[in-house]
Amino acid sequence: MFGYVVADSAKLTAEEKNHYRSCYCGLCQTLGNRHGPLSRITLNYDLTFLVLFLSALYQQEPTMQTGRCLIHPRKPHSYWHNEISDYASDMSVVLTYFKFLDDWKDERKILSLAEAKLFAKQYRQAAVRYPRQCTVISECLSALTDMEKSGELQPDLPAACFGRLMGEIFVFREDDYARDLRDFGEALGKFIYIMDACLDLKKDLQKECYNPLTALSPDSFPQILNLLMADCMEKYRQLPVNRDQNLLENILYSGVWTRYEAANKKTRGDKKA
Amino acid sequence: MIADPYQVLGVPPTATEDEIKKAYRKLAKKYHPDLNPGNADAGRKMSEINAAYEQIKSGNPYQNLRYNQSSASGAYTSQAYDSVKRYINLGYFREALNILARMSDRSAEWFYCSAVANAGIGNIIAALNHAETAVRLNPDNPEYQRILNMLQRNGHVYQQQRRNFGPSSPLDNLCFGLCLADLCCPFC
Repeated sequence: MFGYVVADSAKLTAEEKNHYRSCYCGLCQTLGNRHGPLSRITLNYDLTFLVLFLSALYQQEPTMQTGRCLIHPRKPHSYWHNEISDYASDMSVVLTYFKFLDDWKDERKILSLAEAKLFAKQYRQAAVRYPRQCTVISECLSALTDMEKSGELQPDLPAACFGRLMGEIFVFREDDYARDLRDFGEALGKFIYIMDACLDLKKDLQKECYNPLTALSPDSFPQILNLLMADCMEKYRQLPVNRDQNLLENILYSGVWTRYEAANKKTRGDKKA
Repeated sequence: MIADPYQVLGVPPTATEDEIKKAYRKLAKKYHPDLNPGNADAGRKMSEINAAYEQIKSGNPYQNLRYNQSSASGAYTSQAYDSVKRYINLGYFREALNILARMSDRSAEWFYCSAVANAGIGNIIAALNHAETAVRLNPDNPEYQRILNMLQRNGHVYQQQRRNFGPSSPLDNLCFGLCLADLCCPFC
């Protein structure tokens, strides 16, 4: 996961900001409680969005709590969690397990193997609980590795593969929403994959590594990203979200662009200098 | 089409897949427009390198020569387009793409058909890319322009709504309280 699906906090009300922050903190707490303190390193914004989005869709009532953090122990802060935070935290360790395993296979880093082993038990438990998600995640990641190795020139193919993975994670349970949720997750996953490729392009070119966008004209990137998000919003509209719309749409219209805008600003700054 | 794509990449035709990939990435590092801002020559060179690499990867590296040598190719090509269009009309986009992949012709019509079929299976990037190429190769064809406009329309709607939100605040504002949470959570 990449952490592109964030809120543009400058455009949120104080209440929304607080709700967002408490969701993030709640997921962090849930990770710690379910999978041990170490699992908190897997925390990220993409899964925070998953919790926000599914909680809004399923109208899940959050359990509010107040606690203190080690960093500012004097100031207690609120956080919330629910059944979906549990689910997202499980998915988080599954993805992290695969990521470390992949790094080990690819680069033979002993550290990665050790890290994968730390999450192996959590993974085995999750694989029993969520066979559908774990099978798809495993299949998609291995297909992605193959495409990256062969130097696939068509960006749509690896993007669709990552999209399929995300789509499966968005299907919290097989019910009436499953089909539309899968479509929405898939579209968002495609965007995340291409956004990541876009922001990594220079680095990958310099290192002579695979990047799905190498053969495309960089002039077309803004349009491509726009089209992918347009598709994603079309799928979003199919789902009856009746809560936190402003926060969710802030993320989908504005927040997802913050890192891209920051990178562009930096490039422009470099040119001036 | 490039007569000898191997020459463009600077590798012998006997080169392995890995050697070709490495040569391509080395050249991309040298000529990619992102690493050569404002250098039009580098941009042109990169397009040539991309075309050569694509041609080799298609499994039919000398497509152009073979096409010219075959006297019956004109008739064959028009027949192939008939089947492609039939498949597209029936919604069998993958089958249409399979035929397109085997064709050596890369005219505006080829890019147009490819754009339609790719759009049909949700390959947004290839669809856009090929529609743009079709329009560039044949700017007067209204049908090519129509598919390009259709593809772009959704993007315009999103962009408008995005504008209503105002410009995205760059990363600086992202953290608010969260970077503190970031710092504290792994340890608490």
